[in-house]
Order: sequence, then C-alpha cells, then structure tokens
Amino acid sequence: MMGSLCREVVTLQLGHYSNFVGTHWWNLQDASLTYDPDTPPGELQNDVLFREGQTLGGQMTYTPRLIAMDLKGSLQTLRQEGCLYETGKDLTALTWEGNVMMHKASPTAKNPFLLDLDKLDKGEQLSGVDFEQIPVPHCSVSVETINSRLERAQKGYQLEGSVRVWSDFLRIHLHPRTISVIHKYNHDGETHLLEAFGQGEALLQGTVLEELEDRLHFFIEECDYLQGFQVMCDLADGFSGLGSKVTEMLQDSYGGRGILTWGLAPVSHPDTTPMKELYHLFNYSLGMVHLAKNSSFFCPLTLKGGLARQPPAPPFFPHLNYDSTLWYHSSSVLALALDALTVPYRLRHNSIPMWEFADTLTVSGRKVVAAYGALPFPMAQGSSLPDALGACAATLPWKPLSTCPELGDGRCFGQSVTLRGLEGQSLVSQQRLGMQPPTTLHSLDCGEDVLSSYINGHYPATPFSVHLVSSPSKLTPPFPQIFSQTLGPQGFLQDQAPPLNTLSPLVSSIPVLTSLQSSPALGPWLSELQRGASTMDPRRVAPSFLSQGPELSDFQESLEQLRLLAGCYRDDCDGTLRSSSEEDDDS
Amino acid sequence: MGFMTWATMSSTMASLMTLIAIKALNPKAEVARAQAALAVNISAARGLQDVLKSNLGPKGTMKMLVSGAGDIKLTKDGNVLLHEMQIQHPTASLIAKVATAQDDITGDGTTSNVLIIGELLKQADLYVSEGLHPRIIAEGFEAAKDKALAVLEELKVTKEMDRETLIHVARTSLRTKVHAELADLLTEAVVDAVLAIRKPNEPIDLFMVEIMEMKHKTDSDTQLIQGLVLDHGARHPDMKKRVENAYVLTCNVSLEYEKTEVNSGFFYKSAGEREKLVAAERKFIEERVQKIIALKNAVCADGSKGFVVINQKGVDPYSLDALAKEGIVALRRAKRRNMERLTLACGGIAMNSVDDLTPECLGHAGLVYEHTLGEEKFTFIEKCGNPRSVTLLVKGPNKHTLTQIKDAVRDGLRAVKNAIEDGSVVPGAGAFEVAVHDALINHKPKVKGRAQLGVQAFADALLIIPKVLAQNSGYDAQETLVKLQTEYKESGQLVGVDLGTGEPMVASEAGVWDNYSVKKQLLHSCTVIASNILLVDEIMRAGMSSLKG
Repeated sequence: MMGSLCREVVTLQLGHYSNFVGTHWWNLQDASLTYDPDTPPGELQNDVLFREGQTLGGQMTYTPRLIAMDLKGSLQTLRQEGCLYETGKDLTALTWEGNVMMHKASPTAKNPFLLDLDKLDKGEQLSGVDFEQIPVPHCSVSVETINSRLERAQKGYQLEGSVRVWSDFLRIHLHPRTISVIHKYNHDGETHLLEAFGQGEALLQGTVLEELEDRLHFFIEECDYLQGFQVMCDLADGFSGLGSKVTEMLQDSYGGRGILTWGLAPVSHPDTTPMKELYHLFNYSLGMVHLAKNSSFFCPLTLKGGLARQPPAPPFFPHLNYDSTLWYHSSSVLALALDALTVPYRLRHNSIPMWEFADTLTVSGRKVVAAYGALPFPMAQGSSLPDALGACAATLPWKPLSTCPELGDGRCFGQSVTLRGLEGQSLVSQQRLGMQPPTTLHSLDCGEDVLSSYINGHYPATPFSVHLVSSPSKLTPPFPQIFSQTLGPQGFLQDQAPPLNTLSPLVSSIPVLTSLQSSPALGPWLSELQRGASTMDPRRVAPSFLSQGPELSDFQESLEQLRLLAGCYRDDCDGTLRSSSEEDDDS
Repeated sequence: MGFMTWATMSSTMASLMTLIAIKALNPKAEVARAQAALAVNISAARGLQDVLKSNLGPKGTMKMLVSGAGDIKLTKDGNVLLHEMQIQHPTASLIAKVATAQDDITGDGTTSNVLIIGELLKQADLYVSEGLHPRIIAEGFEAAKDKALAVLEELKVTKEMDRETLIHVARTSLRTKVHAELADLLTEAVVDAVLAIRKPNEPIDLFMVEIMEMKHKTDSDTQLIQGLVLDHGARHPDMKKRVENAYVLTCNVSLEYEKTEVNSGFFYKSAGEREKLVAAERKFIEERVQKIIALKNAVCADGSKGFVVINQKGVDPYSLDALAKEGIVALRRAKRRNMERLTLACGGIAMNSVDDLTPECLGHAGLVYEHTLGEEKFTFIEKCGNPRSVTLLVKGPNKHTLTQIKDAVRDGLRAVKNAIEDGSVVPGAGAFEVAVHDALINHKPKVKGRAQLGVQAFADALLIIPKVLAQNSGYDAQETLVKLQTEYKESGQLVGVDLGTGEPMVASEAGVWDNYSVKKQLLHSCTVIASNILLVDEIMRAGMSSLKG
C-alpha cells in the first residue's frame, strides 16, 4: 500500500554553481518525461520531483517543485517569474497618475539555443542544421530525442563559448515561485559579493526568511506524502552559510522529513586570488560541519581533486573529454551522477523514503557521506554486465566525486550502489547451459545479484544495497558533448574508434554506476580539511572573513566539531566504534 | 587600490547613472589624492542624488524599471530603487547602505536622506575648493546637527493620536507612493488595521497585520479583513467551502505518517517488515484524529455550529478522509507566523498536542470560506468578534502592481506606528526644513570660527527638500523658496509648499504631517555619513573593510 505512494520531494538550489548543476539535472529530468498516455510508466516516478499546476487562464502546467536562490544580476535572459503564468504584458502604472519614467534595459542577447527555444515556444519550426552558423564537427548528426519540445530539433549546440549563467542552457519552464533573487549581494562585480560564511548565515532573516517560508509553504502544502528535501548548496562562497541556516530551518519546521544536502563546488573560480582560496577553505570547513549537522546526510559533490588550497588535479575519467574549468561542463558531469545517486527515493515501486535512505547511511553520527561515480560505466557494445565487471575485477571502475579517495581495504560502514542504463538482456551472461561460466558473476541470474556479488567481492561483509534502473539518463541538447571518441551513441565502448576525419556520433545516453558511501576513508579526509583550516588564524590572515560573524570562538568551536565528526569514522576491525574523544592517532 | 583608479556606478537601468572615470593619480601627492578622492566621492553622492531627486513628494515621478529579460519593477520609493540598482562605486554603495538602513529603522526617509547627503557634500565642496579643511566643515555639521535636533524638539507637535491625526499622517506618506484616490483608500485601511491590533501601553507589533496579495485579472482593490486570510485551502473534495459560526482549532500536531524514532535500516528490512512499521505508526495518527473528532462531537452536538481545524503540521489523505466524514474542515501546513495571528484573531489556544483538548482551547469565527483562483486557494476567516490580528488584502492584475501597493502599505503602517509611538508629529511639505534653516542662520554667530561655514552649508543643504518638492511639481524652486521663507518670517507659522498652487500653506492646517522619528533619524544619519565622506582617508579604510565584509 505505502510502497507505491508518490512521496514528493522539494528541491532547493542555493547558489550559482548549484543552479548550474540543477539546470542540467532538470534538463535531464525533462528529457525523460513522456506526455504520451500510451507509453507505459517509467521506473522513476516523475511526480516525486514535478508538480501539476494550473494558470489563471486554466492552462495545465507541469513544473519542478523547486526553489532556486541566486544573487542580483545572475538571471540575465531569464525572467524571475518565468512566462508560463504570465497575465499579459502590462506596462501601465495603474497606481500613479503623475509622471512615469520608463527605464528599459536593452534586451540581453540570447544564444542560438535560447533563440530556438523561443521559436519552439511560439510553435515555429526550427530550421535544419545550419552548418554555417555552427561550423563545428560532430554536432550535426541527427539524434532522436523524446523531449516533446526539442523533438526532432536535430541540432547540436556548441554553447561552451556562450554560457555565462545557468539560464543560458535552461530548457524547461519554471514555476513563478521558483526563482528567488537575493538583492543584498551582487552576482559579479567588485562590491557586495557574498563571499563569507557569516554573510550567508546573516541573510536568513526578515523578508528573505519570510519569502522563503512562503515559497516552501506553496510547494509543500499541496504535498500529500512529502518525503523531504534535496538541497544543492554552493560550498565555496557565502551560500555555504545561507545553506546552513536554510537546512536548520527545514529541520525545525519539517523535522520528520529527510533533508539530503549536496555541497557543490566548481573545480575553479574565475579571477581567483590566494585570499579568495582561503575564504573557500573556511567556507568548506564551516559548511561541512553545519550542513552535516542540520541535514539527514551531507555529501560534498565536486570534480575538484581536493578541498585544500592547492588541490591535486581533478579525477581522470577515461571516457570523458571535458574542460574542468568550464562550469557548464563540470556541472553536467555532476548532474549526471546525481541522476543515478538519487534513484532509490525516486522509484515508482519499492522506493526507499529519504529519511530511511539517510538513516541507514549515517549510523553513529557519521552524517557526511562520499559519492563515487563511473561516468560512463565502461562497457563494450554488445557485451554483458558480468563481462564488464569482470574487466574491472581488480580495480573499482568509479572515481571520487567528493574528493575523498577510497582506502581500498574493503572497509565500509554502508553504501548505496546504483546502476543506470543497462537493459535486461545485458545484465546477465548470455553464455548458456553446458558451458563452464568463466567467473561466478557469469553464473548469476539477475543483474542485482551480479552487481551485489561484485560489490561483495570488494567490500566483504559490509552492508550495502544495489538499485538497477534500465532507463539511462537521456543526453539531449543542450547537454554538452563531453565524451571521448571511444563511445558510441548509447555510451558503450566501440570496438574501434571511428576513422579519422569522420564525424563521431552524438552520444545520446550513457550507462552510469554510482556509489554513495559512509566509509572509514572519510575520517582522515575530514581530519585533513580540519587541519588545513585550523592552522590559519582568520583574524590574522583574513580579518574581514569574520566581520559579519561568526565570532572567533564559534569559528573555533565549529572546527572542533569538525574534528569530532572526523573521529566518528574510526573503527576497530570488528566494526564497533571507539569514542571520538580518544586521541587522534591516525593523522 | 582599485578605489582610486576608477569610480563607476552601474545599474540595472541603462543610462540611469552617469559613468565617472578618474584616471590614476600620483599616489605620492597626498593632498591632491585626498582632494581628488573627495571629488570622486562627491560626484558619486550627487550621482545618487540625481537618480532619486525626481522621486520626492506627491508630484514626483514614478519609475518603471524593465530589465533586459523583461522583469518589471514599479516604484517611487527611494529605498526600493536603491535595492534594485547594482551599485559598484564604494562611496555610492555606502550612502545607499545608510539610506536603506534609515528605512529599516523608521520605514521612510530614504530619498530625503540621499538628497540631503548629496547636498551637504555639494555645499561643503564650495568651501573646500576655497581651501577650508574638511575637518572644520565636519565640525560645523556637528554643531548644526545638534541645533537642528533642538529645533526639532521645539517644533514637534505633541498631541492625542486620534484617528483623524493618524489619517493625516498615513495620507501624507501614502500620497507620495500611490495616486490620491488609491492613497485615500489605503489610508483608511492602514489606520484601522493598526488601531485594531493596538494594545494600550504596549509597542505596536505590525507583524499582527498580515498583508496578503491576490493576483486578479480584473479586480484592483485593497480591503481590510477583520480576521485572517490564509493562502491555502482544505485538501479534501468533500470538505465544505463555506462554514458559518465555526469553532476553530489551531494546532501543531502531525497528522501524517513520518519517520519513527526506531531506526529502520533498509539494508536489513524486507518490504513486509517496513509495512508493519508503517502500520504501527498509522495507528498513532488515527488515535490523534479520533481525539479531534471526539472534541468536535462534544461541542457541536446540536449541529448548529461548524468545526475548522488549522494545523501547522501535515495532514495526510487518510486523516483528511476521516475528518471530512465527520464534517470537519481541515487546513494543513499553516505558516508558522500565522499560528499566533490565528489565536489573536479567533481566540483559543494553539495546541501542541491533542492529549488534553478541551472546549476552552477553541477559537471562534463567524464565517470561514474558501476562494479559488487558478491553482491558488485562499481561506478567509472573518467575523471574529474582536480580532487582535487583521489582514490587508491587496488585489491587483500583475506582480509589479501588487508589489508596489504592498510596499506602499508597509510604509503607511510604519508611519502610523511611528506616530503613535512618538506621540508627536512634525509639520511636513518642507515646513520643518525652512524653519530649521532659519534657526541655524540665527544660531551661526554663536559658533566659533570657521566652523560657522559648516553651519551655513548644513542650513543651505536642508533646503533641498522644499526646493525639490516645488521643482517636481513644476514650480520654480528658488521662487517658491523665497515665498516660503518670507511667509515664515512674516507669519511665524510653519509653512510648506502647497503642491497644487506653488504657494505657501500652513502645513498643520493642510494636515500634512511627517514622523518625528524619521526626521530625527534623518538629521543623525545624514550628518554622520556626509562627515565621514568628507574625511576621505578615514572612509577609505572604514568603508572598504565594511564593504568587503
């Protein structure tokens, strides 16, 4: 009975990079929507994330249950209220009979993708592939998308040069209550920047708080079975502090629900300075403690090589070919990972409610979890899951998405593994009776067992769950083409790379394997972050960091909490925990 | 120091502000540097002044800002305008910060603040360019401010804050924000709202006046509801849309399934085991629902009264079903801030548990009904006897109109609250500034040395208010000012500009009253900020660090 209920989720995106990731995420969701009543319902329940609505004119709408916060000047071509619920352009000032002075900024220029969207909205046809306009190779091969609006828009868009803000590649319409602009701070420029944790913390009061409560109320009141919130929050700047306060408020007001928080950070910031890097480090550290405390779980999500001030290079994904400095690229990889990581609580059948999902992964105060992803999951065209896993028998195929490298010793407190994008046939070995299976994996009868057996091999006698979803994330435009030439249209490895000087095919989906873990590796990782931040005295090295709070003593107290948090991840061989107050000797 | 090499202000409104670019100066030339910095700061202050000038007064210009994406903002309020602009120049943004802080404290005076700061600096510049040290001018400003505050104490009119006086105060504020007819409509609503929630000998909590907006295609209206309007409705098709003579139960009790304290890990539990846990939890919820139903049956035995539950927590469909069967109307997820308002409007006690429900916990409303507009629902809780929380319902055809009216209503409420709490008011329409100017000129000889020039500058600067008021109404600023000053000298009465005729009028007779606390705050903050900007070196350090925050 309760098993197949639609348990609604409200999404919050706090900060510009979170909105980058969120935009890709919603584009991915939108690409999987079908409005055709004859299509059988998918494995994922879209109503978990989307809501049905109605305009004043009686038109039906289907929009994300989303609140997105950003700073003044960040919207560019996007109208805050969107255009779905528009009641007609009315440029009269009904409230004034005297002089009215109009200050009209010239319309912000739109890139070719946005121009096409406008055309589709007006019901116009898109012109065919325009080689002159987009003279770049491997973007012009036709791709079948099921997205209703971009259907048969057989176009690739090279948006690398033209994406300035997230709305430059936003494909869907948002509800008028979705976008919230914080007017106190500027998106760019030299003054009034939201740079420090304390500035963000101080924001959530007065009208900002009231407005957020109103928006939450709108999306939540209509939910029959709200399961919780997924919060994407920028970790590097002041949004780290705002997110801490927002999650605290969610916990106060909706205590029984799940609050799953993803702390996002781009690989690099434009125009960075050593001082800004120091701010980032402090924001990471404070955000880690407070977001973890106020959330059901907290997972950092970034393609950075580490959170220290001079981090190692980003992790190497053998089949991706992306520019790590481009937010448009790195955010697309993270969105793809999120689309798999979040599967367990979005399933149509037998979904696991958020709170249960989080509780299982965060035993004994271990609120911080780490994500790993194989993007794509490396599998040859026409081969099977046992074959593919067999090929990575020695080394796990996934890379850190939280900058926390695995210890590789098979210890793990708990993990949730998700595989997306493999159909039934390819999940088990096709070798049949009479033949000696080459490995145990080849003898198993279903994908779940195959994957479980593989995970169990790497993490003997540790708790884990596996979820397999056959439908892949659909990579329709404007998802960037960041894949190496070794991948075919469905994201499987090709036997041979296409001959030189020919167009490689547009990749329209890829299989993805992710893992969300609570493991002993997080202990030393958190300790390192804590040490990096506590060797610095903010009063001396960055005096204005604390100018809007917190007090120095609270700052130090937070770092102490970070140290205690790290201690939660130490374990004995039998898996029981030692008290965190014991001396830290693994440093 | 990026500060020295550039000075730009940009805004979301193209061409609203001029760009000022100053080339890098020789850092060794200390004096030149300070003077150049002052010049930059003054031009920044005057840039802001130019933007806000046309806003002032009932004849000012409304501004409609249309962003590059097409977002519309309609405002005549300096505070709102400053918030909309992306001000990059540190000094301009400092002024904006102070001016908007003024609004935060008193609810009004942003435009006046910016105008006076700009004028103080302009007047000071005349003397500085003739070699007077800025510090001496700052001293004069300080002396002038003290005198002006003393004059304010003399000129304020302490009187009974009856409805008529409050109407005058609210009207003076509102007529500068919206057109006369609308202003008069809002004036009554705003005053009656404050009077309804006012408690003797207690500070006025404007929080108890809810401002609710309703987007309506054709209707444009603002009304005072003696009770509450919630922007949600019942979520069950069988619940009544209209209940008369209703008991109201306000509570904060979960009536939906949520996670239990028992840790239920999905690694270990089968689907069947999980279902069992869920069923056990459901039983608890059903018991809570039954307790509410029992209370309803006890008080509504004769069937003449209705029963409405307003819950801060969730109510799931099973619970809604059970309540609907008993004829109970239930609203879920009421906003936290509405819980206190509900009991103040309807009476009763907000309950955190259903264990000890008694009839005494219940409030009462003469009428509860639901109104649907598109996907939005509204629940009106009216006829509440003697409500101590009320709602101003603002209807309008689009967001920018609604927002502008709401901003105006907020300012009007603040003006009424200030007047009641001050216990006094100050004659408006420039009358106060003309009188202070006169007093300062008389006071000047008592100030020692060249600081007198600072007093003169201060006195002259205040006149920007009557001058701009006249100018915005199409009259000659100097001619009007001379008329005012002459009339003031001759009659001794506090005269301001009659914006209908350009002639002097006795402000008190015309019912133009400003807030005492706004004027007081204005004198303080203008002086502090203008002095700081004059003392450039200090401001560079203090200003930059507070901006970098």
